[in-house]
This record gives sequence, C-alpha cells and structure tokens, in this order.
Amino acid sequence: MKITIKKGISHALVLGALVLAGSGCDDFLVEPDRSNFTLENYFTKPEHAESVVNSIYENLRSTTGGGFGGAPWMMLEFATGLANTDLGQAQNSINIRNLVNNSDNDYGSAYWTSSYRGIANANLAIAKIPEITMNESRKMQLLGEARFLRAYYYYNLVRIFGEVPLLTEPVDLNSPELYPSEASVEEIYNVIVEDLTTAEASGLPFTDETGRVSLGAVKSLLSSVYLTMAGYPLQKGADYYQKAADKAAEVIESGEYELFTSYDDLHSEAKENIEENILMVQFEPFIMPSNWQTSIIPYNKGISEYSDETGAIYANTDFVESYEPGDKRTKEKEFYYTEYSLSSDRTKTVNLGGHFIYKHFDPLAHLQTTSSGLNWTLMRYAEVLLIYAEAMNEVSGPTPEAYEAVNKIRRRAELPELGGLSQQQFREAVWREKWHELSYENKTWFDMARLRKAYNVTTGNFEDFVGHQFSYGPTLQERELLFPIPTAEIRNNDKLTQNPGY
Amino acid sequence: MKNYLIQKMRYILILHLILISAVGARGQGTSVAGKVTDEKGTGLPGVTVLLKGTTNGTATDATGNYSLNVPDGNGTLTVSYIGFKTQDVPIENRSSVNITLATDTKALEEVVVVGYGTQKKSDLTGAVTSVKSEELQERPAASLTQALAGRVPGANVSVNSGRPGGRANIRIRGNTSVSVTNNPLYVIDGVILNVTDLANGSTPIDYLNPNDIASIEVLKDASATAIYGARGANGVILVTTKRGSQDGGQVNYDTYVSVGTLARKIDLLNSEEFLHVEEVAYENAEKYDPEGWAAGKYVDPRTKRTNPLLFDANGNPLYDTDWQEEATQNAITQSHQLSFTGGNAKDSYGAYLGYRNEDGLIRESWLKRYSGRFVFDSEIKSWLKVGGTLSYNDQNEKQIDPLGAGGITTMRQVLEALPIIPVKYEDGSWAGNEDYPGMEGGGNPVNVATDRLYLLRTQTMLGNLYSSIRFAEGLELRTTLGTNIINQRIDYYGGRTLNYISRNQGGDASVENQRHNSWQFENYLTYNKKISDDHSFTGLLGLSWQHVDRFSALARAQRFQDDYFQFNNLGAGANPVAPASGTSAYGLNSYFGRINYNLKEKYLLTLTGRADGSSKFGSENRYAFFPSAALAWRMSEEDFIKNIPVISNLKVRTSYGVTGNSEITAYQALAGLGNYSVIFDGARTIGVGISRLANPDLRWEKTHQVDAGLEIGLFNNRVSMEVDVYRKLTTDMLLSAPVPSSSGYTTVTRNVGSMENQGVEFALNTVNIASGDFTWSTNFNISVNKNKVKSLTGGADIFSGSTVIREGEPVGSFFGYVHLGTWSTDEADEAAKYLRLPGDIKYKDVNNDGQINDRDRVIIGKGIPDGFGSLINTFNYKNFDLTFDMQFMYGNDVLFRSMHSAEDRQGIANSFATVLNAWTPENQNTSIAQWRPIPAGYDTFNDSHRVKDADFIRGRNLLLGYTFSPGITEKLHLNRLRLYASMQNFFLLTAYEGYDPEVSTSGSPFDQGVALYDYPKPRVFMVGLNVGF
Repeated sequence: MKITIKKGISHALVLGALVLAGSGCDDFLVEPDRSNFTLENYFTKPEHAESVVNSIYENLRSTTGGGFGGAPWMMLEFATGLANTDLGQAQNSINIRNLVNNSDNDYGSAYWTSSYRGIANANLAIAKIPEITMNESRKMQLLGEARFLRAYYYYNLVRIFGEVPLLTEPVDLNSPELYPSEASVEEIYNVIVEDLTTAEASGLPFTDETGRVSLGAVKSLLSSVYLTMAGYPLQKGADYYQKAADKAAEVIESGEYELFTSYDDLHSEAKENIEENILMVQFEPFIMPSNWQTSIIPYNKGISEYSDETGAIYANTDFVESYEPGDKRTKEKEFYYTEYSLSSDRTKTVNLGGHFIYKHFDPLAHLQTTSSGLNWTLMRYAEVLLIYAEAMNEVSGPTPEAYEAVNKIRRRAELPELGGLSQQQFREAVWREKWHELSYENKTWFDMARLRKAYNVTTGNFEDFVGHQFSYGPTLQERELLFPIPTAEIRNNDKLTQNPGY
Repeated sequence: MKNYLIQKMRYILILHLILISAVGARGQGTSVAGKVTDEKGTGLPGVTVLLKGTTNGTATDATGNYSLNVPDGNGTLTVSYIGFKTQDVPIENRSSVNITLATDTKALEEVVVVGYGTQKKSDLTGAVTSVKSEELQERPAASLTQALAGRVPGANVSVNSGRPGGRANIRIRGNTSVSVTNNPLYVIDGVILNVTDLANGSTPIDYLNPNDIASIEVLKDASATAIYGARGANGVILVTTKRGSQDGGQVNYDTYVSVGTLARKIDLLNSEEFLHVEEVAYENAEKYDPEGWAAGKYVDPRTKRTNPLLFDANGNPLYDTDWQEEATQNAITQSHQLSFTGGNAKDSYGAYLGYRNEDGLIRESWLKRYSGRFVFDSEIKSWLKVGGTLSYNDQNEKQIDPLGAGGITTMRQVLEALPIIPVKYEDGSWAGNEDYPGMEGGGNPVNVATDRLYLLRTQTMLGNLYSSIRFAEGLELRTTLGTNIINQRIDYYGGRTLNYISRNQGGDASVENQRHNSWQFENYLTYNKKISDDHSFTGLLGLSWQHVDRFSALARAQRFQDDYFQFNNLGAGANPVAPASGTSAYGLNSYFGRINYNLKEKYLLTLTGRADGSSKFGSENRYAFFPSAALAWRMSEEDFIKNIPVISNLKVRTSYGVTGNSEITAYQALAGLGNYSVIFDGARTIGVGISRLANPDLRWEKTHQVDAGLEIGLFNNRVSMEVDVYRKLTTDMLLSAPVPSSSGYTTVTRNVGSMENQGVEFALNTVNIASGDFTWSTNFNISVNKNKVKSLTGGADIFSGSTVIREGEPVGSFFGYVHLGTWSTDEADEAAKYLRLPGDIKYKDVNNDGQINDRDRVIIGKGIPDGFGSLINTFNYKNFDLTFDMQFMYGNDVLFRSMHSAEDRQGIANSFATVLNAWTPENQNTSIAQWRPIPAGYDTFNDSHRVKDADFIRGRNLLLGYTFSPGITEKLHLNRLRLYASMQNFFLLTAYEGYDPEVSTSGSPFDQGVALYDYPKPRVFMVGLNVGF
C-alpha cells in the first residue's frame, strides 16, 4: 500500500510539473494575426507607401457595376429624369426615377460609405507616408495621388450630399472625430482645392497610361471643381469661371489629349487611358471584370452571351429624340442602340423596344467572352473642352477659342458648327452639347445641381431646376438639389442633420 | 476494403437469418402459483411472471395472484414490474412461491454525467436532461442533433432541410447572442468539439456518428454549465460514447435500410396554364407600360412558339413536364454499424465500425459516411486507471442546395423550370428555359443537379487519453489530453453551359480546404468525503489549456475547354482566379472548481466557479470569472412527506450563475489592415488599407441565468414530472455595432447589447398501463421560450438576413411591408397617388406619407416558435414495441421567400399555381397582382403575404419493433435480436403550403423559418435489424 501511494505521489509530481510548466507560460495567451498586418506593425518600407496608396483607388470601383438590384451609379442618372428601367425589382432606381427617393436608398449609402472608405485610406496614407524612409520624389508623387483621390471623393460627397463631415486625419475608437459634425460646403471645397493644388505640384507625369492619377487628371478635376464653385451653391462667380477656364486651357494647350475620331473608341479596351480618356476606373477582363454590361442590355431579349440580361437602365426615347437631326451620336450603335442580333442566331436581329446605352457597351463581352474589361470613364477630354467653352463664355462671352472647343465636339457629331451666338445663346448651346455628349456618364445631374437648371426634352430649352417636370410626370423640387444623407449615418451620428425635404 | 467489409456484414446477417428459423419447441409439466406483493404486503396486479429463459409467462391478477405451468420444478421465475426491482426466484420444486418485490429506486439512483464528473441524478441541483442510447435507437438518425429532437425540454432542434444528413439547428433555452454563436458547446468524452461553422450550414457535431453514443446529457441552467465558464452560455451537450464490454466478448450489428419519398408537392402551373398566363400578361402590357408597348418592346408570345423541339405546327406544347417528379427519386439509405467489444471489470476495449450511404430525395444528392472508433479503458494498478478513444469519421456529401452565383439552384428550378420543356431532347442534349425565347433562362433542375457539383469531403478525428490516479479513498486526479481535427474540402464545379451559374465564366471550378485543429490538456482533482451520516461533500479543482487554430485556402479557375476536368485539374482553366488563404488561432487558459455539499440527503448545495483567460482579448480584459450557486431540497426525504405513499420523489431546486460566450472572432482587439486590389496597366495590384476598427476594451458576453425546478415522482415514479422556469439575461452582448461610416469603418465590435430569454419547460412521463404483457407509457414535453432584445447600440435596428433585431422585440423577427391585397378599379385615384394602377399590389402606407418605401416596413412575423414539444407514446406487448412519436410547434411563421420569383413574377419562368387567382377586372378581391410582362413593372417585397402561419404537428416516427425472446436468442447463440420497421415524417398537419414549415435555407443565424428554394423533407420508410452475440 505504501508503495502504491509512493508511486502515486511520484506520478502526481510528474503531472504537477507539467501543470506548472504550462501555467508559467504567459505567451500562451498571446496570438499574433498571421494573415494581416496591424496598424502598429505597418508603414516601415517604401512598398508600404505604394500599397496604401493603391488601396485608395479601390473604392473608385464601388459605385460602378450592376446586378439584379441595379447599381449606385444609376442614382445620378435616374435623378435626371432622362433614364428608364425594365428592372422592376430595382426599387432604389424606381424611387429615384419617380422622385420619391428617401434616405434608406442603398445607392446613396454606397456613395457615402465607399467615398469615406477611400478618404480614410487617403488620410492614412497622407499621415503615415511621410514617416517612411524612401525616395523623396516618389514619396511626393504618392502623396499627390492620395491628395487627388481624397479630393475626388470629397468632390462627389459635397455635390451629392451638401454639408458633410470633413475628416483629414485617421480616426480610432477614441477620436472625437469618430462622431464628427458637418463642415460647411465652403470648408470642404477649400480642402478639395488645397489637395488638388498640392497634387498639382507633386511631380506627377502629365499623362499615365497605366491608369494612375496624372497631372492632366489633376488639372481637369480642378477645372471642374472651379466651375462648380462658380455656380451653386457657392456662387463664387466670374473669378472661378476664369480659374476653371485657365485649368481647362492648361489641359487643352498641353496637347496631350485629343478627341477620338470614332465613338466606338469610347468603349474600346484598346483606347483606355489614352487620347480622349483622362482618368478611368480600371478593369481587366477575367482578372477584374466590370459588371454593368448586363444592366445596359434589355430584359431577357436573348441578345447576349451573358446569362443575365436585366435592362436596369436605358435612355428615355424623348431625350434621344431631343438631339439635333442628323446628330451622329443618335445613329444606331453610336451612343445608343435599338436592335441587336440574337445569341441563339446572330443572323437575326431583335427590336429592343427602347434606346439602350451603347457608349458603355462591350461587344466582345456580349458576343464572346462574357467578361468585360471596359474601364469606367471618370473624366474625358470632351468634358474639359465643354468646361472651357462654358467658363470662357461666362468670363468674356463666346470667344473664338470657346467656339472651337464646342465645335470640335459638334464636328465629331457631324453637326454644323456654332457661330454668331449671343452669350446667353452660347451658354445654352454648350449646356445642350454637354447633356448630349456626356449623357449617362454621371455628369448630367451634377450640372443640373450646379446650374439649378434642367433640360426640357420637348422644347430643347433649359428651365429652372425647381419646378421642372420630367417628361413622364414627376416634378423636381428644391430637395432634389441634394440627395438624402443615408439613414444609418444619421442614426449613428446624432451630430448630423438630414438635408431639407427628406 | 470498404466493399469487403460490407460483404462480411452481409454474411453475418444471412447466417443469423438462417439461425432464426431454427426455433425450438417446449413441453408440459407441473404448475406453480403464488402472490406478488410490495414491501408493505399489498398485492400487486399486472406483474409479469416469466419462466426464465423462455417465453412462458403470465401476469398477476387484481389481487396479485398468479399461476403458471412449468415443465418441472427446477426452473427460475423472473418477476418484473414497473417501479420495482426485477427478481429471479428459483422454484426449487415448490408449488407455491410468494414473492415480495422491492421498490426500484434505480431511476433515482441513475448516474448522470456532469462537467468534469458524474453525479447521482437525485443529487443534482441543476437542470440536466439525460438521453440514453436506448431512446436514441427508437429513431435512427443521421446526426446527434436529429437524434435529440423532441427528447429534451428546452432544446429546440429544428431539422431545417431534407437534404442527406439534414441541416439541423439546435438552441437550448433560446438565442443568447447576436454576433457570436448560439450553438451549444459539445463535449465528447471530455473533449471540447471545435466551435465553428462548417460549409453550407453544417457544424462539427454533424460529423459524429450518432450510433457511437451511449448517452447524452444536456446541461441547461447555470449551475450545470458554469463549470464550462466562458463557453457555457448556450448550454452544454455532454456526449458519452460507447465503451468496451465488462463481461466478455460481444459482437453487435445494427443495420437499417430506408426509402424516402416526396411527402408533399407544391401546386405549379402546367404547360397549358403557363402559356395562357404568358398570353394574358402580354395583353396587359399596354396597361402597365404604354410607352414600351408603343415602342414595340413587347412581342405576342404566340408568335414565338415556333421551336419544333417544343411545339407542334399549331404552336401547342409537346411536353407537360412535372419537375417535382423528374427531379426527385426514391431515396434509399442504408446504415451498417458493427462493433466488437470485450474485456472484464478491469480492462475493456471496443472497436466500432460504421457505414452510412444515404441518397437524397433530390436526384444527384447523396451522403456517404465511414466511421471507425477504438476505445480502451484499463485499471492498470489499483490506484491507476488509463484509457482513451480514437475515432475517425470520413464523410462525403454531394449537396444540391447551396445558393450560389445567379441565385439558380436545383430546388429553384424544380419550381421554375418550364413545364413545356423536357429533361433532355431526343439527341441527348439538356433542355432549358432559354430554349423558349424571352425567359429568364435557368437550366432545368436535373441538368443543374447533374452539372453543378458541390462536394463536401470532411474528415474528422477525435481522440482522447486519460489517466486517473487515486491517491487515497475519495481523492482522485484525472488528466486528459484531447484533440479534435477537422479537415473539410469543398470541391465545386459549375459546368460551362449552366446559365447564371457558370456560363459567363466558361466553367467555374474551385477547391477550398479548411483545417480546424484543437487540443486541450486538463487536470483536475476530485475529493469525495463523507464526514458523517449527515454531511458529505465532493470538491473539484482543475485547470485547463486549450488551443484552437484554423487554416483555410481557396484555389479557383475558370474558362475550361471541357467539363471533363471538373475541380480535379484547376490548371486546365484558362483563367485562374485570385487565390486566398487565411489563418487564425487562439488559446484559452482556465481554472475551475466546484463544491457539492449534501446535508442529511435532504439539502444539497453546489458552488461552481471558473476563471477563463483568452488570447482573444486585450491584456486588461483577458481573464473573467464565472460563478454559480445552486440549492436543492429533497422534500421527499422529509418525514412529513416520506409517509405519504403516493409521493415517491419530490425535489425543488434553484440556481443562479453567470456563463459566457467566448466565440468571438480572434483579433478583434487589434487594428487590422486588409487587402485591397486594383488594376494598373492591365494587371492586378495589391493595396493594404484599413479593415478593422480596434476595440482594445473588448470583454466576454455574460449570461446571467436564474432557474427554479420542481421534480415530482408519484406512485413509485410511474408518474414523474419535471418543471423548470428560467430567466437568462445576456449582458455585455457583443455587437458589430455600427459607427459613423465617415470614419471609413462601418462597424466596431463592442460589448453594448443585452437580451433576455424567459421560459418554462415541462416534462411528464407516465406509465399509463402496466399489466402483464402490456405496458403503455407516455412521454410529453413542452417548452416555451420568450426572447426579447433589451438594448442595442443607440437603439438602432440591426438587419440580419431577412430579419430585424430591434429593441423590445424577439430576434428572428421578419421585417417587411404590409400587403393589403390589390388595388381595385374603384380605388384607381387612391392607387394613382402611389403611382399604381388597379391590379397592382396594395401595400399599407404605414407612416401615411403618401409613399410606399422602406419607412413603411414593420415586423410582420417571426420564425422562432413560442413553444414546441413532443408527445411520445410507447406500447409494449409481449415482444412487440410500438412507438408513436409526434412533434409540435406553434407561434412560428415561415417567410416563404420563394414567392418572389415563383409568384410575384409570371411569364419568364414557371410559377406557383396560386397565380391563377391573379387580379382581373372580374376578380379584384385577391392578393395577387394582375399578370403583366416583367419589364412593364411589378412589385416584389418581403411582405406579409409571404409570411405564412407555420404551426404544425408532425408524425415524427411510427415504429414497430419485435425483440426475440431470450429463449430464442439463446438457442441462436445470440444475446440480442430485434427487428423493426418504422415510418418517419408520417404525417404533417399545417396550414403552410410549402414543402415543410420546419425550415431555414439561410446561413444567417436568425433566419429560422426563411424558405428560399428549400430542400423538401422526405417521408421515410425504414426496416432495421439489431443483432448481438
């Protein structure tokens, strides 16, 4: 018995030793995350500067696309009253189209959330890159890209939502800035202008064929920003028209950009990031395909190799009919298409029963690959020309350079050149040109809000935004000059107030 | 090898069937008579008196007298009666044998497994329900959760799918958490099973062979679960597996074969109806889209019925296919379980083999499971016991129910494939909806089931080794080393021609590997001491380390030239998709203790505490302490009750304690960065940016539970009843709390919420009749649980799947519009205010703002029941046993989401036949909108029309068994032989018109009752055999 007890004790000692060995080990409760860096252990190498700037670009992609619920970019199109849909379940599109939008709209929250995600990454880059030891000129360029992108996101936010929080530094759980108040529209524009002028001086190349931000993009965006600042809501007037014209002129006079001769090049992979295209959201077939192709074809007409044909967005016929007679852009398969061959038999064509948007159409993807690499254009040279024409006219009436800018676009559309117009006539002619040239490219609504004007497709004239009746019935009210701040954001931050009317 | 084993098993089976037919005869002789009484001398009626080793027997009469003819006076009588100990009485040539039966207190002395030990059931102070293997055997099931269904008050088992293996969800006393798991903790022979979600709604417990289970204990209240501290909040299920034999070699073989058939059908449109709907819809296009009509957007469907493969020369359809017939099959399942056990009181061992082959009700779905297990237990020295278990399970499944790209699944296509198309054309090619122009062109269900491969291959290993050292009388140290390894591979291939699924990708293949490892090392000392006749106590002190890690990797490729490769050669895909991998790990270090104190066998006290430390939390909050206390009073031991003969047991108990839920994702306290990817110069480029807002202050969720229980046994426990009432309050509830997204983040994990569950559990077991050869017993249980979300961040609703989590409401509440029917022609002006026409759906403008939008959504139902339970009747007559097992549930709804595509839309795919009741000028009092082509505009929302009352009563199991008498089995040299036949899911009473009201097709934790293309549950016909020798 004694022996067994002794043995028992010896065993217990062994076990006890094990127990103690285990409990002495504090590291047991420390586990690093081996899949991801944390804020504390990053930003030590030049590569980290590159990658944090790369991350800012990703959210440019967030509002493009399409699916059975539509896509955020359609928000800015349905709000013009110039677009239609076959996609009955895309309630967000339909509410905006019928001017019964509200703050629960997911498109609005996609703009809000993705823009601020991009801004947060830009803030991180701008705060952390200076600490990294690396080639100084490359560091400047990267900071320039980050500044440009932050400005771009804020420019969207301030135009879509008006007064919004203005964050320029990273936040954590204890930052007061986690629950920010709105900044004034002017404060936001000041940061945008400061960011863009900083980016302008950061040593970026004038063009960039890889799809990164270039000096040309910085100047083009700056001209657009100044043009908007000249109009509503800041109404900074002539000085800013002059600044807009100056920046646009720098782009024009650089000689780095030119209009495509064929409209097909607007949606051709071969022409991406060059000539007319100044800045684009980058896609690549098979690797990272864009996915709005299924949205811009009619509902289940059997024209595409894609399985899904959702008819999420197409042009109002009366808008297409408002182009001048003979406008090349309204000819079949220039900006729009009304018939297409059947995927079951390409020798047969089917009438689509509407004007579908061809300028975003990828024939190769529809006919063969079902994977589209088309980029999404953020800025193209035609817009810069039209900004120049409009701004110049506001400063000093229709100058020969202003005529030339707009006539370049008209010549391509096989329309007679403009001439002999009064300042007012020229102003509306440029607007009309802009509506027709940049249709369904997320430009028109911004112009409407900036000018507080809307295009009457029946008369061809511009009338006041407030009170303008869409051709299919609803009438614009003052509240529609802005979109509602997303419900969740208002709820999660009691310092925000909803835009009037929502 | 596997085939060889099956062959062997067949031989054994055949051999025994031959032996069965050789039944012996018996002779006539003398007679024996007497009286059977209880300890007080009262005659007992209906007592079984049997000549041992034969089927020769009788029952006592009303006064307890019996008489039996026996061959000679050398035999032995076996006297048995419910509630009394069975006695063997040698006749010894007497003609009169009087027998006094002793009360059987075994039911009370039943030993129950509790965390880190065992206890007499009578000494329990907590709410624990035991289920023994005999009960489990009454209803052979594919998984432990299914086997438990209806057996444990307070445990709501929802078998949510009819797919092979089922897809069961278990909740013990309601949902306690919003962000982390609500699944109970499973402890198998002391080893904690990995807590993780596996592919497509399965969890690790689904990969345990239920035939290996000897008993299950479900720990419900805090007194019982607190010993598992931070992991106990959702209840704990302790599984004890079968061990070796203590009295010599034994071989057991259990088998069954079953056939499953489609239990109910949904009424769908036939060809004629479908084409008619399409025609009328076309004619209505002008009303709903005059502009498109004028532009020629709509085409008369009659003009497109020209495909000679589908239509005759007059445009009439050639086919009228019933897809519910075509896509289903008689689903054959076979199960073979073979065990070899041996040993003696000191050393025992066992080897268990299992094989299950289950075909699904839907064609092309199946499950195969191979399992093996080895156990040994040995008393090496008088003071040292060692033992262990090693089990391995290999399960292969082909599933057809996962929702994937394009929302097309086999079950959706069962509802939506056109009746006018065949399965295949004469040339052998698949037919699909796209063959008829203008359709949303999904493939037919047989095509989808065949060409969309989703294979789950899961290997699990569960092992433990223990040693138990006895230092002195009552003092024992037990050490266990355990591990659980789960390897799961998901092989996926979508064929090159499958519309919406993989056609755009030119074939889509992926292989995903997931490995979950855990090990644990635990030591605990137990000390039992009887201080005096009045005082005794048990003390427990222990410590534990656990480590869990996980690794996953995904490879994917698209654009295959041929479907041949499937997922077996990803290099054959021209377009490799970006790969992914990830890992996480955490450690837990715990200290625990328990004291049970027993005063005079009347008053029982249990104190439990556990301190848990976890690497998941920041250093300040790393450790937390979880205490509990419980008291019980065995009133039946008090003299004033002891003398009441009717009462055989009476106990009241109460407990209070705190447990936690530690299943938060690792690293939430760190400011993690994440991957971004962008294209530059046509190539994928990686970015690193923000991903997670760190919360260094994270703590565990804590659930405070108070429980009161009453146990009553009457008439020698012929009637026993157990009632528990409880309240669980979860505080510091982890929420993925929204933060202003102006920060770039959208959520942060925070301890901010609270939630409450209150409920009552009631179980009643009665032996209604026990007379001689016949007994009838009833087991009834009902559980009522009321869940309420008490607080959320700033009161904000959280949307989870199709449900809303809202303060003051239960989780799992469906959210949507109120459907009021359709606008009538009289209401045209009112409808116009909402931009609607007569014939459109009329929704309630809840906030009266003149618009129908998200603000008009309200809570419209809930999927989690108010109450549920079982009524199980068991009849035994001689060697026959009959079980009639019914399940019921009430207060629950189904959100029938399939209606979105199968009822709200017509003319682009097939629809429910309910659309025939659509609005027409003559039929305006209806819920269904007027038919129109989809591009003309229609409304489809989660609304009250989709919420269906889903109370039900189900005939869960009807089983008839025959157990051969010992006399026969002995002659066959068997010690056990039983045959049975059963019918499962044999009836279903419900107002719900879908396949099954017990359903969920979502991975979202509160989407109980959400039916979106659900896999129907079969009616199963089964025959089985149990043999032992």
